[in-house]
Amino acid sequence: MTSKPHSVRPGFDTALAGKLAECDGGGPVAGTRFAGRQEFTGKVAGDYVDHGDPPWRWYLIVELTHKPEGYPGDAVWCESGSLFFLDD
Amino acid sequence: MAKDPLRTKLCDMLGLEFPIIAFTHCKDVAVAVINSGGFAVLGEAMHTPDDIAADIKWIRDRVDGKAYGIDLVLPASVPPAGTLEELLTKIPEEQRKFALGIKEKYNVPEPKGAHALHQWGGLNQEMARAQLDVLLEERVPVFTSGLGNPAFILEAAHARGIKVFGLVGKTRQAERELEAGVDAIIAQGYDAAGHTGAMGTFSIVPEVVSIAGDTPIIAAGGVTTGRHLAAALCLGAAGVWTGTLWLASRESDIDMIIKEKLLQATAEDTAYSRCISGMTMRTLKCPWTEEWAKPEAPRTLPAPYQMLLASDYIQAANDHRREDLMTEAAGQGVGFVKSMKPSRQIVFDMVEEALDAFEQITGEAP
Repeated sequence: MTSKPHSVRPGFDTALAGKLAECDGGGPVAGTRFAGRQEFTGKVAGDYVDHGDPPWRWYLIVELTHKPEGYPGDAVWCESGSLFFLDD
Repeated sequence: MAKDPLRTKLCDMLGLEFPIIAFTHCKDVAVAVINSGGFAVLGEAMHTPDDIAADIKWIRDRVDGKAYGIDLVLPASVPPAGTLEELLTKIPEEQRKFALGIKEKYNVPEPKGAHALHQWGGLNQEMARAQLDVLLEERVPVFTSGLGNPAFILEAAHARGIKVFGLVGKTRQAERELEAGVDAIIAQGYDAAGHTGAMGTFSIVPEVVSIAGDTPIIAAGGVTTGRHLAAALCLGAAGVWTGTLWLASRESDIDMIIKEKLLQATAEDTAYSRCISGMTMRTLKCPWTEEWAKPEAPRTLPAPYQMLLASDYIQAANDHRREDLMTEAAGQGVGFVKSMKPSRQIVFDMVEEALDAFEQITGEAP
């Protein structure tokens, strides 16, 4: 079989925007067969992207107050199932 | 007649003789374990969708209808994108010089070819999604998510008869995945090879079991012997997830030098460090891990920068098969791996030892 491109649909969730959240994040490590875990804490910007069908939703987390040491950015995309809201 | 302690709900779910899961990147190991009464999950995170489809067919043709699993690494967070060149320019001079010092001290040669890392485009949401679509299309019996919550794909997977297992390093991740309805949870402790959470296997397994209800929990991290299997079942697990155990098996396709290093290693020969990938990872000790562990070493960089820094060393060590430099991910159970046995023998030895352990506890043969 040959892989097909899937749909990518951006959106904005006003109900979640501004909420404080922790992300049990991480991902595959480039050049290896392994995955790595990384933790982030920050505010949900509200922006999201849905990948494919069924939709796989990702939220943009900004104003990071906790991130891996030396992490250069102040934002991270986090998969919705790995996001834990601290305000709830 | 006493109940067979190795007959668990995981065996019933997957039609297994023994509750032993081999996690492997080698298809031959997977098939050997499955045909010996255990279960195997093939790690395919680094493969293209087309390669995954081909590997599924290869296994399916050799297991006579028995269940098998495919593992993917679903990213759980993704930093803003950057090109390789952009990333390389961000490596600080202090760390760059330190890496160069290691190269000179240990006479590390230049890699023979292009870095595997540099040829790889990276695994983002789109690539992972395309890999998942193959598993749905091929209706694999079991999909395991080595990282990241597979909740979003559950309904589609179940509609196709696919069981979904999630691997977790924290209890709250297990809670979230159980709520979503995963079919089993792999609770992985700190003893494991590669990247792990901070909880030990003896802590995370019973904690996850306590919230799992009827959902099978599979113990991972340091599980290498039949005594580990018996202990895991006593903790409430319905099976074990094993990785390091198979690296030195007869069928394993890793370099023979690494196999020999694994056979000689003890738990203390593993390092838990950020120095290879920028994320805590357990591997066999090597000059690279030893130098970064010294007090005078600079702080390690976050992923992906540390991996970019380490890639030259790792690639050269493997390209030139330098025994003194080479390393491999290995769990703390590596000390129990003492001979290069066929996978079938490993399964049977583990079963026999577990039954002996139960007999010791109960005073009667199971």
